[in-house]
Amino acid sequence: MKIVKRALAGTMESSDIQIVVEAGEGIEIELKSSVEKQFGNQIRKVIRETLEKLGVEDVKVIAIDKGALDCTVQARVAAAAYRGAEIKENYNWEVIK
Amino acid sequence: MLGSQLIEKRIFLDDKRGKRELEEFLQTQDIRLDENAEYIMAIFNEDELIATGSLSNNTLRSIAVKPKYQGTSLLNKVISHLIKEAYQKGITHLFIYTKPKSVKSFTFLGFYEIARVKDVVLMENSPTEIQSYLNELSTKKVDGKNIASIVMNANPFTNGHKYLVEQAAKENDVVHLFVVSEEASIIPFDIRYELIKKGTKHLDNVILHKGGVYMVSSATFPSYFMKDANQAINVYAALDLTIFKRYIVPTLNINRRYVGEEPYCEVTKIYNETMKRILEGEDMEVRVIPRVESQGRAISASFVRRLIKEHELERIKDFVPSTTYEFFRSKEAEDLIKKIKSNTGRH
Repeated sequence: MKIVKRALAGTMESSDIQIVVEAGEGIEIELKSSVEKQFGNQIRKVIRETLEKLGVEDVKVIAIDKGALDCTVQARVAAAAYRGAEIKENYNWEVIK
Repeated sequence: MLGSQLIEKRIFLDDKRGKRELEEFLQTQDIRLDENAEYIMAIFNEDELIATGSLSNNTLRSIAVKPKYQGTSLLNKVISHLIKEAYQKGITHLFIYTKPKSVKSFTFLGFYEIARVKDVVLMENSPTEIQSYLNELSTKKVDGKNIASIVMNANPFTNGHKYLVEQAAKENDVVHLFVVSEEASIIPFDIRYELIKKGTKHLDNVILHKGGVYMVSSATFPSYFMKDANQAINVYAALDLTIFKRYIVPTLNINRRYVGEEPYCEVTKIYNETMKRILEGEDMEVRVIPRVESQGRAISASFVRRLIKEHELERIKDFVPSTTYEFFRSKEAEDLIKKIKSNTGRH
């Protein structure tokens, strides 16, 4: 899956995460989190794994986390990636568990 | 207390009651209602307006949260709402004007400071955008002792503009000529750019650039494009020029900025005065070039547009280079001339 435009999913409200994806080289993640110390690495890992499952290889992610659970992170990453790739059907929701 | 009764609503300025309520709320926060706002949202706790924000092209404005509820997540709700709205319109590079004390809050929401002047800070929603712009710009860097710069809208390119560029080209090794790319003028960017390119073809040390979002754009200098132009114009002018000084000047090693003397437009006049104050220093000089006159009056693009509007296309010949004149006589310009004739705006 190829990211062709900057796209967004999620919000910066409590328990959510705002994900912005844009074209990049390799997977690059810029994370800002209210729980960075405790969960920063876990969130990065979930973002990366979700992207890998979706087959996104080149992307820059800007994530602003407000304490989202893993499943929320997965859902937001998938939605942003699909929007950024301009894919509008046959979604693979298996990436969220 | 805040709970599930929170309602997010769009507010329309032609709804008198809604508008008054919003104005009253903003007044308590010392914020002016932005009449240019294209999209305004507010959050209500039952019937009480407790937070608001608006979107005008690519800038978030007039953002306020009732003091009692500050520190709750209302600001996040407002900003998330506006960002989503902007993205849906395809606008993804966003700016925000805020006060120094709020910079931290917006940093948590993914905004990064570009520049500040007195009590106003301009931020953008990307950590890398300005750097990639500068990286791109630096590919056009040319070495020399005297490196000049000009920013012009050229709506359209006149003999006045041409004289300004020629002066700069004569007195410097290189001239970086930035064309305002905001589509707020009656003549579209592509045409303005093309006419400048044709009209400066004889000068081989002039490098043309697309002005982009960091130079006299609706983000950096909104006064130039607004109806109530004088509002906060000093601050906006200072911000725009601070960005120029801090980012553009060192990237291209610029040490002069040229500008045409401004006898007519109040906004441009203030901008030019501010330019001297902000830019001039040891390594940087501002040169104001007097306007060229023709037939006893200073040449201005607005006068040229007026002639076109008043069906006196032939007369523009005395005020514009032949390249501009030929363009306006061509078939290609027909639609544009119609547009100019029916235009009532400032630009």
